[in-house]
Amino acid sequence: MLDNLTAAREQMALSLSFHIIFAVLGVGLPWLMLWARWQGLRKNDPLWTALARRWAKAGGILFAIGAVSGTVLSVEFGLLWPKFMERFGSALSLPFTLESFAFFLEAIFFGLYLYGWDRLPPKVHLACGVPVAIAGMASALFVTTANAWMNGPVGLVKDSSGKLVAAEPLGPFMAATTPPQIVHIGLAALMCTGLATSAVYAAAMLRNPAKRDGYHCRGLAAGAVLGLAAAPLQVIVGDWAARVVYAKQPAKFAAMEDVGHTQSGAPLHVGPFELPRMLSIMLKFDPNARIAGMDSIPAPDRPPAAIVHLSFDIMAGLGSALVALAVWGGWAAWRHRRHGAAHPTERRWLLRALACAGPVPFMALLAGWIVTEVGRQPWIVYRVMRTTEALTPRGGLYVYFYVTFAIYLTLSIALIAILRRIARGPTPRDEPPSDMPQPEPIAARQAVAA
Amino acid sequence: MTAANGLALIVLAGLSAYAVLGGADFGAGLWELLASGPRKHAQRDLLDRAMGPVWEANHVWLIFVVIALFSGFPGAFAALSQHLLVPISLALLGIVLRGGAFAFRHYGAPYGGDPVKGTRTWGRVFAIASLLTPACFGVAGGQLLSGGDAWAPLPLLGGALAVLCCSYLAATYLAADAAGIGDAALANDFRIRAIITGIGAGGLAVVGLTLVPGPVPLVIVFASSASRVGSLMLLRWRRYTLARVAAATAAATVLWGWAAVLHPWVIVGGLKLSETAAPASTANVVFAVLAVGLAIVTPCYAWMLRVLRPRAMAE
Repeated sequence: MLDNLTAAREQMALSLSFHIIFAVLGVGLPWLMLWARWQGLRKNDPLWTALARRWAKAGGILFAIGAVSGTVLSVEFGLLWPKFMERFGSALSLPFTLESFAFFLEAIFFGLYLYGWDRLPPKVHLACGVPVAIAGMASALFVTTANAWMNGPVGLVKDSSGKLVAAEPLGPFMAATTPPQIVHIGLAALMCTGLATSAVYAAAMLRNPAKRDGYHCRGLAAGAVLGLAAAPLQVIVGDWAARVVYAKQPAKFAAMEDVGHTQSGAPLHVGPFELPRMLSIMLKFDPNARIAGMDSIPAPDRPPAAIVHLSFDIMAGLGSALVALAVWGGWAAWRHRRHGAAHPTERRWLLRALACAGPVPFMALLAGWIVTEVGRQPWIVYRVMRTTEALTPRGGLYVYFYVTFAIYLTLSIALIAILRRIARGPTPRDEPPSDMPQPEPIAARQAVAA
Repeated sequence: MTAANGLALIVLAGLSAYAVLGGADFGAGLWELLASGPRKHAQRDLLDRAMGPVWEANHVWLIFVVIALFSGFPGAFAALSQHLLVPISLALLGIVLRGGAFAFRHYGAPYGGDPVKGTRTWGRVFAIASLLTPACFGVAGGQLLSGGDAWAPLPLLGGALAVLCCSYLAATYLAADAAGIGDAALANDFRIRAIITGIGAGGLAVVGLTLVPGPVPLVIVFASSASRVGSLMLLRWRRYTLARVAAATAAATVLWGWAAVLHPWVIVGGLKLSETAAPASTANVVFAVLAVGLAIVTPCYAWMLRVLRPRAMAE
């Protein structure tokens, strides 16, 4: 049996991890849908249109699960952490209020997009995809803005005795932690969606080489380009985010990089390896720079360092692997275009790598969330409110955790079954080139036979 | 009027929208469960076609209410979260299972043919979960008025009333949709279901009047009775479009009656709403954003409801 604090934290971790998987797909997939629908209309290409329809079906079901699991989260803030919401609900009001409208627009136009194929003129239908993509991205960024504020709260108004009386509604948008965090999550959403999509088509091509047709190639290319183009950018943004963490949350940084004590010329710890002076060079561009370590943080304010460091290494390692994959894929595409080398889909090892890369950005995303959330502990609002102070006084929270776990597990199994069914539907075949002899019309053949 | 008053009205408006739009989607669960007669499959098919395109947007009203509440009245949100932990958690369970099950049921056979194994079970889960959520919200509403436990006459009546109101809304809307696609027999199925649940809901609302701790303003009692009786007469006369409006009014006025009795409390005898308001500086900003946001969302919403009405042709 779990104690209340652990149960509440595990429940939050579970609800967030479950939701975030659907949330990132709900953010990214509309961009792919929009692209495919636009290409289909512009080039009058039935294969792109078929992809757009297929993605809309998958998007519909993913969006439904994302919507309900997001509702769970918004209510759970109160059920699990009522003291936090009581004191800071109004501080988070602006990003969440804006998020609710973004979510409204996303839901409205997603409904119109999904069910309007045959009811709206094609161009109006295409236009309905635009607010879905923009509002979906905006809602994720607003939610992350609220989270970023918890990492680096600003705009707190205290009275003369130091008691907190109010929080500026614009605070979350002013926090230094906000810009890197929202760009980081936005790119992560695109990487997850793109690579999950390309993995589906890469796996299909590996199982059946005949599926290297126009339909699957288009699906693979759209997903891989989106996901892999974001990968190198993500490294730059990640570097930016780490610098902001060092400036604003030294305890989280010390845990992330496993800096035990404050030192000059700090080494970089990567897995079992230690690269001398590397951390000082990376962070300050100076091999002798002094880096604050965990010993500069009072003991009661330290996060659990081991899990944060491990998660950080996993995230950074997976991200680097994806950059390598991006270089490989880009090289293969360039060789094909410029030098007439084999089409990238003829390279079995590249297909295998793309198929395996599907879950990778999700793992990196979850590891990154662990760094963000566990790295902030023991605070719920950094240096303002402790997680223990926010907890509900109601007991028996472990029951809720176990029930949530069972329900989410069941939903996941059913969801996978249905997504597989959607993916295995009939796909359109390539049209024969126009210079090939066309089969005679049936009427003409019947006339000959007669 | 202060921003806090305005925020309270916006919360109530969001709750009303959730009740008359989202409530009908939950009520459809009862008609999934009780689909019967020669048009059993047509009944289930219609509710799938009516709900499918719009239930997610309708559901966002709940998220809107939650956010408006904790933005404008963080203290009230915290108090409700602690006091109503059990009914709200069960309502959430219903929301998750209803949404997931509906999607699985809807996409079980995405290209025709045999549905994925378990799709029938998800249909049943959808139906039962759809009833759980309004029942829990009704109980929670009753608990706020009685200020005590769930096992008391008022919360239990609240639960039953919420389920009946939702079922009535669903049946009335589905009757109108069936009439809209020109299926008079199907419309009649739902018309009969609407009249039965409508009378039940009206009866429970009258019992509720005697149980609530304070007087319900006469104007609300009058509006609620008039729209309830009016919607039943309109159903009798098969004037479905007007019946839809009257039924929605009847449901909303029950909610307004509840809010009028609750005012000025969050939990009767416990906490006053005005004591829980956000600081004025925040409340002003939030109120302005909510007002502008609603002005943008409402026309889009109306357009969606119009475009996505069920149509005669098969999808």
